[in-house]
Amino acid sequence: MEYLLVHFSRSRRVVVDDIFSGRTEEIIELEAGAHIVALGPPCNFTPPSIKIVLRDTSPLTPMEVTFDPV
Amino acid sequence: MAMAVLALLLVLAASGCAHYPVNTPLATFQQDSGYQFVQDPIPPNTNSLFVCLVFSGGGTRAAAFSYGVMEKLRDTKIVWEGVTKSLLDEVDCISSVSGGSFTAAYYGLFGERIFSDFRSRFLERNVQGELLGKALAPTNWLRLASPNFSRIDLAAELYDEVLFEGKTFKDLAGLKKRPFVIINSTNLANGDGFQFTQAQFDFLGSDLATYPISRAVTASSAFPFLLSPLSLKNYASPENYVVPTDVKLGIEDFYVNRRRYQWALNQLAYLDKEARPYVHLMDGGLADNIGLRPLEDAFLRTSGFIRSLISEGKIEKLVFLVVNARTDDQGDLSRSKSPPSLGTVAFKTATIALDNYSFETIEFMRDLAAARKQTQMVITACQKMLDKCMGQRLPQLAKTIDPYVIEVNFEAIPDSGRRNYFLGLPTSFSLSRDQVKDLVDIGPQLLDQSPDFKALLDSLSGN
Repeated sequence: MEYLLVHFSRSRRVVVDDIFSGRTEEIIELEAGAHIVALGPPCNFTPPSIKIVLRDTSPLTPMEVTFDPV
Repeated sequence: MAMAVLALLLVLAASGCAHYPVNTPLATFQQDSGYQFVQDPIPPNTNSLFVCLVFSGGGTRAAAFSYGVMEKLRDTKIVWEGVTKSLLDEVDCISSVSGGSFTAAYYGLFGERIFSDFRSRFLERNVQGELLGKALAPTNWLRLASPNFSRIDLAAELYDEVLFEGKTFKDLAGLKKRPFVIINSTNLANGDGFQFTQAQFDFLGSDLATYPISRAVTASSAFPFLLSPLSLKNYASPENYVVPTDVKLGIEDFYVNRRRYQWALNQLAYLDKEARPYVHLMDGGLADNIGLRPLEDAFLRTSGFIRSLISEGKIEKLVFLVVNARTDDQGDLSRSKSPPSLGTVAFKTATIALDNYSFETIEFMRDLAAARKQTQMVITACQKMLDKCMGQRLPQLAKTIDPYVIEVNFEAIPDSGRRNYFLGLPTSFSLSRDQVKDLVDIGPQLLDQSPDFKALLDSLSGN
């Protein structure tokens, strides 16, 4: 498994591949490969989504993506 | 004389028209509709104690073995989140193959009624004899002469009559409750697993709701050569059909995640309607005779119903209880100087594949559970060290999960004579009453002696 950490200025649900998959600032465990990451509503963040290829991560060194408030 | 000839011609014409029931097309695609996992559990069931049962193949042997385990779960009282209930109340999904699918589907449809009539309606019945009787009945010869009606269709009719009462997946979906029953078969063209769920039928542009449960269970238990394949039509997708995102992305993962790539490729193949206007299904055991692979997908894939609950922090205890009715009757094959006969080779060819890699399937699930535990331990240990030194907080997982992979298997029977008795039981749909009783009784005994099951109960008693 691989690990993802999503940052945003407020606590928000994280959407991975159009499925609610945890929250910001929490380690999200996913399988390796291509994923599309976004945040749950409201849509006041940018970019609207981020495509990643998750590999070579660990629980202590997750891939980190950041969304900014609009 | 002319009238007799005319009558005979009419009968021949009518029987030539005998056709297997065809699955219906899906008019419009609706996300989250049709037969699928029910998101919100109905009390006393909870998400926090998430229990998956896995019923392997093995004819009536598997059906009886899994039935006995269900009796044990019904009789096992637990207290979870302050509520006293049976462990059976907490079962959220059942993935089944072949013989195990009879038990799973019956429980899914009729609930606790299984404990009052399943034994007499199915386990103690000479189903094999009845199937043969139907095949030999003159009234069915003409139907069987049709190229579109075969032994498997007779079997489905019998199962509908004696067990499933004409119920369809609409009836199952209409219950709006768990467990989510996944009936597994095998796509004969590519050897991949094929599940009777709306998510799978979406790829065929077909509506699972109208499809009889009996036909799904028959496909799941369509033993090679004895029964013929069950056929489905692969329709054009509805205009508004949307391929799930993780399937679309999985096709990019050839070098990163070959399992996900292969899974995506196999699903997307159904969208080539020109190359694959039909799907022919056989015994689920050809792809996976344990029935664990769909649950591994549900654990791994972003769209998996287990993964999404884990990510949302809803599961505290995750239990996979595998009822493995595998036998190991090698007969006298290795004692014979002469090579085996054609009949023996044909039988072995049909059955060896059913058992190969079953061990690996279960061990892979154990590895996934162990890896999750290890991840949690690493984060906890590092946090402790940070607390001592710097007081900084590491990001945490949504929830710490306590995973269990429990297997009941005849090989765990301590007495060698008794163990060999069970390992030598035939794969058939006709067992004696004594054999059925033995199979129903052994499941609870194996659970009682299982250290993994004891550990689960201990952890629940301390709750």
